[in-house]
Amino acid sequence: MTTRTIAVVSAGLSTPSSTRLLADRLATATVAALRERGEDAVVEVVELREHARDLADAFVTGFPNAALRAAVGTVTGADAVLAVTPVFTASYSGLFKSFVDVLEEGALTGKPVLLAATAGTARHSLVLEHAMRPLFAHLRAVTVPTAVFAASEDWAGGDGGELGRRITRAAGELADVVTGRPASARPADPFADVPSFEDLLRGGS
Amino acid sequence: MQFGVFSVSDVTTDPTTGRTPTEAERIQAIVRIAEKAEEVGLDVFALGEHHNPPFFSSSPTTTLAYVAARTTRLQLSTATTLITTNDPVKIAEDYAMLQHLAGGRVDLMMGRGNTGPVYPWFGQDIRNGIPLAVENYALLRRLWDEDVVDWSGRFRTPLQGFTSTPRPLDGVAPFVWHGSIRSPQIAEQAAYYGDGFFSNHIFWPKEHTQRMVEFYRQRFEHHGHGSADQAIVGLGGQVFIRRNSQDAVREFRPYFDNAPVYGHGPSLEEFSRETPLTVGSPQQVIERTLGFRDYVGDYQRQLFLVDHAGLPLKTVLEQLDVLGEEVVPVLRREFAALKPAHVPDAPTHASLVAARATTPEEVSA
Repeated sequence: MTTRTIAVVSAGLSTPSSTRLLADRLATATVAALRERGEDAVVEVVELREHARDLADAFVTGFPNAALRAAVGTVTGADAVLAVTPVFTASYSGLFKSFVDVLEEGALTGKPVLLAATAGTARHSLVLEHAMRPLFAHLRAVTVPTAVFAASEDWAGGDGGELGRRITRAAGELADVVTGRPASARPADPFADVPSFEDLLRGGS
Repeated sequence: MQFGVFSVSDVTTDPTTGRTPTEAERIQAIVRIAEKAEEVGLDVFALGEHHNPPFFSSSPTTTLAYVAARTTRLQLSTATTLITTNDPVKIAEDYAMLQHLAGGRVDLMMGRGNTGPVYPWFGQDIRNGIPLAVENYALLRRLWDEDVVDWSGRFRTPLQGFTSTPRPLDGVAPFVWHGSIRSPQIAEQAAYYGDGFFSNHIFWPKEHTQRMVEFYRQRFEHHGHGSADQAIVGLGGQVFIRRNSQDAVREFRPYFDNAPVYGHGPSLEEFSRETPLTVGSPQQVIERTLGFRDYVGDYQRQLFLVDHAGLPLKTVLEQLDVLGEEVVPVLRREFAALKPAHVPDAPTHASLVAARATTPEEVSA
């Protein structure tokens, strides 16, 4: 049985946070959806709050420190990514974007990604489509059609189970994409395809 | 093995006094630092090239020629010479001239420069950084190695029947190092020519330096210049030394915390863990520096950065005293004892002249 790795990126700040709560439900649903399709999965969570200073340091020094390198490796090496952020001032949070900013160019190219966000009210739900999806389009990630938004009221269950249905549908879409692909390899070695100097002299770069 | 210092020539406010040295003071200070490097027994002084404030060193050959006149033994180098935005003809002329005046005590380190606006000031585009480094250096080599050059390329007006003067001293061009923080193409370039490769080393985790040097060594062997462990490697290093480790940390911390390159980010302790920065006693610096060999192999040149971030001249000169008296003699002995006989020293003018005498002269096309 193939074992997939699902990386969860959660940008929630409080403990416990509704962002992490949503991330955990998405992770559970994704593991279940993969099992239905005959595949096993392990979940690795990156809590960005723990890397808030590492991220600031990386901007200043120009390189991620060991702890942040490990977190980045978890995400870039996974078979799929659950990206979950709170809505801050009409967009993903600064902490979330900071993590995206330290990823090497091409790090998420072709990576299956499920987008999700939380906020106080449903009025912010289009942040998923107007901010998150264009960001991941820029990264050339493969985002699944259903993105999941949870407002405070969704946790009351007053929506007749709609949040749960969206979670199940999104997780199923992600599992469909993942099961059609070979197991994830670590990112390619940047030294593997350096052109020979003869090619550089001929004008390659 | 060669030991020395390299300076990026920054004019930086001393964060402990709020005072900014004038350009005139810093220029005099850099000459004093170079003289002191020779006095305390170091081998190399290397100076950066920049064309924007807060740096003063736009004209390294002027400075290095002056230093050459005031020293007798010190090897003069650059850190780095901009192979992208300088005309390779001017580099060939300037450094051959310097080589004559300095009696051969000259080598160069090529670098691309990472400041976007500098390129258009010199009619270039940073997006062509690698192709510029490749074409310009290929021309520079021919200008030094061939008496009469016909040449045309993408970035510079063609040359017909051009002779770069003066010809290199004794017909032997200065040795060249190629410096790069993160571009494997530059390591490939150094390997292709059998030139030296210098890893800046000081701003990144050691795994990164290790990978770059390993790649350079493999390619050096691939291009037929010798075995991988005979490739010519240089490393940067960054130290602040006091007899007592706690004194070093206490004194250097404000300079670290406000340093233009990495200040206002990680703590001194965190940055010391992640990079080769060593702030402590002479013994700590010796042990850390000897440890570099564990991940790059036997190498030929170790340059320390000691005069940056607003450190006053007096402090810098004290650092040079400690390096010369307590650190480098031990490093020399220890590295020499570890180095196998088939690993060469860094080339010098004398060694290059001798090497040419023992190999038949190539016929130039």
